[in-house]
Amino acid sequence: MSANDDQTDVERVLAGDISAFEGIVRRWQGPLINLAYRFCRDRGRAEEMAQEAFLRAYRALAQWRKDAVFSTWLFALATNLYRSELRRIPARMLSLEDIPEPPDARDSDGGLEDQDRDVAVRRAVLALPAKYRETLILFYFHDMDITSAARSLGLPEGTVKARLFRGREILRSKLPQLLAVPRLKEA
Amino acid sequence: MRRLTGHDEGEINRILSREDEILPSSGFAASVMDAVRREAAAPPPIPFPWKRALPGLVVGGFVLAMVFVTVVAATVQLIRSATSGHFSMSLPRLLTPILGLGLQENLASAAGWTVLALLVTFVSVRLSMRLASRGA
Repeated sequence: MSANDDQTDVERVLAGDISAFEGIVRRWQGPLINLAYRFCRDRGRAEEMAQEAFLRAYRALAQWRKDAVFSTWLFALATNLYRSELRRIPARMLSLEDIPEPPDARDSDGGLEDQDRDVAVRRAVLALPAKYRETLILFYFHDMDITSAARSLGLPEGTVKARLFRGREILRSKLPQLLAVPRLKEA
Repeated sequence: MRRLTGHDEGEINRILSREDEILPSSGFAASVMDAVRREAAAPPPIPFPWKRALPGLVVGGFVLAMVFVTVVAATVQLIRSATSGHFSMSLPRLLTPILGLGLQENLASAAGWTVLALLVTFVSVRLSMRLASRGA
C-alpha cells in the first residue's frame, strides 16, 4: 500500500472523480473491517460499521491535512466511529464475572487447548471496561505499536501505556489459570 | 490482585496479537461505492434560513426577556406583599411604558396578563404568517 496512491486518489476525488474513491476502499477495506470486527466480534456488523466509516471518510476527505499519513487519519476516523457505535449499541458481551473459568490445565493430562485459551482471553478483552478494551484492541491491531494506537485513539502515549498496563492486569486477575501455566506446545 | 509478570504479559501479547484476519465479502467495495455515489448524487442539505429567521428570533428573544423580567418582578412584588400581609398582583411598572397600554398600577392583574398574552400571540401569529407567505 502506497501513501502516494492514497494522496493521488484523494486529489482525484476532491476534483470530482468519485470513482477514484474505489481505490481507497479496495486498499483499506480489509483493515477497516478487521478493526471493526475486533470491536464487535460480529462479521455483519463489522462490515456495516466499516461501510459507514468509508462514507464518513468520503464526506470529510477535504479535511484530511496532508501532514499526517492518510491511513493514520482514516484509522482515527474509523476508531471514533466504532467507539461511538459500540457505546450506542454495545456488542453482545459477557461481564468479566460471567466468563466461565476454564478447567485447570494442571489437572488434565494434555493441558488446555491453545484455541480455547485464546478464545477465552479474547472474550475477556471484550468484557473489559471501555477505556481498557479500546486501548487493548487498538494496540494489538497496530501490531503493538503504541504510537499508532495513541494516534488512532487521540490520546497521549503515556495514557495508552497506563491503560494497557491496567487492562492487562485486570485480564491477569480474571484469568489466572489461563496465564499462569506455561504453554506445553511451546517447548 | 497478583502483579502482572513478564510471563503473563508475554502470554497476553502472544494471544491477542495472533488474531485471525477476516476477509471482506465479495460485494463490499461495490456496496460502499453505491452508497458513496448515492451520497454524491443527493442534493446538498438546505441551509437554515438565518436571514428570514433573524427577525423572528430577535422578537422571540425580546418577548422571552420581557416574560422573564415580568416573572421576576411579579415574584418580588408577591414576596413583598406576602411579608406585608397584603396580596395584589399587577404588571410591573417596567411594562407600562413599553407596551404603551397605559396600564395603571392598580389595574386588575388578570386583565393585564390577558392583554400581554394576546399581544404576544398576535405578534407571533402575524410573524409566522408573513414568513410562511414569503417562503411560498
